Amino acid sequence: MEATREIYWNIGHGVVLPMYVLSLFAVGMLVWGFWKRLPLYNLGKPLDRFDRYDERVKRMVGEVLGQVKVSRVTEGGLFHSLFFWGFLTLFVGTIIIMFQADLFTPFLHVNLLSGEFYKAFSLVLDLGGSVALVMLGGLFVRRFIKKPEGLEIVQDDYIIHQLLFAILLTGFLIEGARMAVTELTQNPGLAIYSPVGYVAAHLFTSFDEPSIRTTHKVLWWLHFALVLGFFCAIPYSKLRHIVTTSLNAFFAPLEPKGSIGTINMEDESIEQFGAAKVTDLTWKDIFDADACTSCKRCQDRCPAYTTDKPLSPMKLIQQIGEVAQTEPGADLCTTVSQDVLWSCTTCRACQDICPANNEHVNKILEMRRNLTLMEGAFPGDEVRTAIANIEVNGNPFGLAFASRGEWAGNLPVTLMESGEEVDILYFVGCYASFDKRNREIAKSFVSICHAAGVKVGILGKEEKCCGEPARKLGNEYLYQMTAAENIELIKGHGVKKIVTTCPHCFNTLSRDYKDLGLEVPVEHYSTYLHGLLNKGALKLTPEPFVATYHDSCYVGRYMDIIDQPRSILKQAGGQIREMEKSGFDSFCCGAGGGRILAEEKLGTKISEKRVKMAQETGAPLLVSNCPFCLTMFEDGIKTGGAEGVIVVRDLAEIIAERIIIS
Amino acid sequence: MKILVCIKQVPDMESRFKPAASGVWYDESDLAWRMNEYDEYAVEQAVQLREQLGEGCELTVLSIGPDRVGEAIKKALAMGCDRGVHVQDDAAATKDPWQIAGIIAAYAKDQGYDFIFTGMQSQDRGSAQVGVTVAEDLGYACATTLVGFAFADGTVTARRELEGGIKGIVKLTTPALVTCQLGLNIPRYPTLPNIMKAKKKEIQAIAVAELLKEEALAATVSFHPPAKKGGGIVLEGEMGTLVDQLMGILKEKTTVLR
Amino acid sequence: MKTLLIGEYREGKLLDSSYELFGFAGQLGAETTMLVVGSESQLPAFDGKLYLADVASCGEYNPDLHKQLILDTIQKENPDYVVFLHSSYGWDLAPRVAAKLKVAQVSEVIGLADGGFEVGCCNAKMRRTVKPSTARAVITIQAGAFPVTPLGGSPSVEKISATVTSNVSFAGYEPAEAKDVDLTRAEVIVTAGRGIGKKENVEVIAALAKALGGELGASRPVVDAGWVEHSHQVGTTGQTVSPKLYIACGVSGAIQHLAGMKKSDFIVAINKDKDAPIGEVADVLVVADVLQFVPALTAKL
Repeated sequence: MEATREIYWNIGHGVVLPMYVLSLFAVGMLVWGFWKRLPLYNLGKPLDRFDRYDERVKRMVGEVLGQVKVSRVTEGGLFHSLFFWGFLTLFVGTIIIMFQADLFTPFLHVNLLSGEFYKAFSLVLDLGGSVALVMLGGLFVRRFIKKPEGLEIVQDDYIIHQLLFAILLTGFLIEGARMAVTELTQNPGLAIYSPVGYVAAHLFTSFDEPSIRTTHKVLWWLHFALVLGFFCAIPYSKLRHIVTTSLNAFFAPLEPKGSIGTINMEDESIEQFGAAKVTDLTWKDIFDADACTSCKRCQDRCPAYTTDKPLSPMKLIQQIGEVAQTEPGADLCTTVSQDVLWSCTTCRACQDICPANNEHVNKILEMRRNLTLMEGAFPGDEVRTAIANIEVNGNPFGLAFASRGEWAGNLPVTLMESGEEVDILYFVGCYASFDKRNREIAKSFVSICHAAGVKVGILGKEEKCCGEPARKLGNEYLYQMTAAENIELIKGHGVKKIVTTCPHCFNTLSRDYKDLGLEVPVEHYSTYLHGLLNKGALKLTPEPFVATYHDSCYVGRYMDIIDQPRSILKQAGGQIREMEKSGFDSFCCGAGGGRILAEEKLGTKISEKRVKMAQETGAPLLVSNCPFCLTMFEDGIKTGGAEGVIVVRDLAEIIAERIIIS
Repeated sequence: MKILVCIKQVPDMESRFKPAASGVWYDESDLAWRMNEYDEYAVEQAVQLREQLGEGCELTVLSIGPDRVGEAIKKALAMGCDRGVHVQDDAAATKDPWQIAGIIAAYAKDQGYDFIFTGMQSQDRGSAQVGVTVAEDLGYACATTLVGFAFADGTVTARRELEGGIKGIVKLTTPALVTCQLGLNIPRYPTLPNIMKAKKKEIQAIAVAELLKEEALAATVSFHPPAKKGGGIVLEGEMGTLVDQLMGILKEKTTVLR
Repeated sequence: MKTLLIGEYREGKLLDSSYELFGFAGQLGAETTMLVVGSESQLPAFDGKLYLADVASCGEYNPDLHKQLILDTIQKENPDYVVFLHSSYGWDLAPRVAAKLKVAQVSEVIGLADGGFEVGCCNAKMRRTVKPSTARAVITIQAGAFPVTPLGGSPSVEKISATVTSNVSFAGYEPAEAKDVDLTRAEVIVTAGRGIGKKENVEVIAALAKALGGELGASRPVVDAGWVEHSHQVGTTGQTVSPKLYIACGVSGAIQHLAGMKKSDFIVAINKDKDAPIGEVADVLVVADVLQFVPALTAKL
């Protein structure tokens, strides 16, 4: 007997017209629901996220169908992905059936759903459905029984779980009822290709055929109604993420990570700098609230949130949506609160993990811009002083700018003002220039370069703060002022390559200064030294040691430099014990986003938390490659009572001790 | 109502000072410049008063010095002053307080200012004379070292800072000049729109020769580092000796052990 | 050479610092006459001429009237120098007198120098020697720069008075706020750093501060650890201070701390580590164990 089935069995073809009319109505409801939401998004300022169409489509298809970002987290994430694939299988199967019944059979007179293909089709759909059902169960247990910390349960969750469960269950029951009358008796060889249906069919075997048929009809209509309800509910419930989160994979920025819009200071028509109201943000910023699935992954990883500061990146995203809906004219920074905005370290952990491609950091920066540029606000008086110091002396400490190059002493460095040719310009940065502890980084780096035969130039007293902390605090004006001076200087000296030891300088010079006209290649010393080692220009005497390595946010997450520093450490004889949060999942030291200049008044200390994580590896040594991280960890080790247990050293210090001078 | 605030641009005090070739003032190379701290309080208070008095009030900021003082004037304009006056004088540093006060008084004489604000002193010269002398020259009521300022019903109520944290309350009738001390207010950070607006505000340039009519009454004959300080002493050794050594040094070099 | 010294009264009492004026005149080798707006019950003890205006009628702060009293006395005495303390009273009054006389004023004199007077400048980082070009000059002297010189004796008093109209009026004193601690005003600060080891040892440092009549300061780690209140914190995130004497006990000298205290007139650091960065700004670095040295020092005071 041929392996196929009668579509519309027991329902009859008379259903086709009403079914399509109702389906069209449901799809119409869905479209209408989103259409009504468009004005909400349009409150935001324009932003072109429709360019480079093919790249965007490719990414969207990959991320949605591949569930790439969702499945990065096992619990919840993997469940969701499997559920998604199962449910998608059922959806595609249903579409195929529709095509077969109402297009291929009546008009083309072919039956795809027969033979071996039908067997496979039945099996795949049954398995897909059962995977979806099991995963739904898993998600149910996680949300309602295990109740992970921070995961909120709202009414939508109950409705969605019930709805999906009912859809899946009725689907299998319909199949079972149909099979009880048909395949089970007429074609048992085929029945086994629908294993779940096979089991379900046995539920009906004790009833007579008319009762089964009636039940089947009732269930069919119920299933159909539930599916229609599902479609209609999408724009009005959390289910909207099916559309919005998917679209956000299309809308996500294509610029390099960490790109910040550079304000045109020459444009005299600008009256509002940064975001005072939700309408000062872009439509994408409002759309992000709709794309948020409340998965709270950002919140779990936020260094501010996890040390009891008032910032939750998730709540911030959602709050912007709420304000847009309720009172778009409201003072956004007050609604969100200054404490929330100043708490961010711009570590990008939230944005990196977000399965919805939401852009947390730049929203905060836009609001900080309003606070700083429009209101002259600061997170504290100590920051006010530091900013004034940068303005006057080009460093946050307020030390005499003329003493900036004094760390170099008699080390083999060339002052750029001498006009001599150099291999690299070492952009030292404020901390390595002025802070006694951090000067060791600069000295070590220079001695390494010297051993490798690299001629190093520095700007000395001409160098100024790169402007990064000021910019991340929202002070775009001061940033552009100091940046312009640095850029003019660098261009004037005809620099061919810049190396930094500070990741903040590195990000700023390599990416942000491009917007202001600097095109010189910039490298962080982690990759530069890695290159020297690979070339053989730099040789080390490995001495064994055990260490844990801290990925600075602005090296790892921002710049994808994960393996090179580890490789250097291994070549130096290091055995690395990884912290649980490492690589792209690294946990901030607390100094980013200009927080290095601010006192940590709220919650507990981020640096102590990170030092504890380092201690847990059992390694006696914590290696970082960022002056800010080093400063924070020196402090965290002291105040966190880890002295004598663990020490923090910079990568350059480790290497400098092992160089072979040829 | 008309308000004048007088400001000076001074080197940042973190700078390293070395005598200039003249030997009577510092060498200006490698110095970072900023508005005199006490003058920032003066500007802030003047701007607050200007905001209080509202429309029809004009706030002028005046500074004496070479081209670089334009930066300090611009900052004051960004903080909220309406117009600037730059008395151009490349040799301002060689003038004594009497002459500087004379220049300001000569400018302000016929302008009918109701209020004049100055810092209590400059951070570099620290004479604390100019403000009071201007008031004497102009016959204005004057109070110094303010940590509180209020104006109502034609009367200024000033809180002067005295020794030991005590305050003296003084009432002045206008026209009045006050000199401002740390603690009077927190100077605002100029907002970007105000920085932009300040770029378009008028800065009137006046050659110092037009205003200078006085001879100096005092002369600086030497500018030099303190005799001893610098190159810290390191004391090491036996505990009892160490204590005696330190006691000796403290008696000799500080005024706190008597 | 002749000096007219202007003494000071505060809330009815002669200020002891008025005797520093005699210290200055003594170094100058000048004759002394004093003028005070004070009361007969509280006369300065010296054998010489005292011009006394009654504080009850003239007020402790009445610059226009006091100026007139001084100008009248100058006419009688014809002094070479009119000497004030560089105090809230002196720096307010001296320029008024100098301007009226159109004579040179030298402010906040810390010593006598060849050819003039030594004054501090650039936040006390540098010195100037200032020479008046006028025959007569007004001087204000820095508090504590000249020795308190009690001469003893009783002056011959000449009562003076004057009447002027003034648009400045004194409306009373406001007592100092009962604030926990204001380090920016302290003349001596003794700071506890992490080197003190534990909270209980704060007492050792506080005892030294008390013995010196100063305030207790603290570095950030000590405050963060909860050993000392935040109001005592010195540094960029605490208070920026410039006392006459700063003693850093077991403070290594993080840059934020140095920025907050390096303007102090005289810095003593007590630290086990000879290479601690605090040594860079210290006038004296005592290489010793804080917990041994500090009690020994306190005991000697």
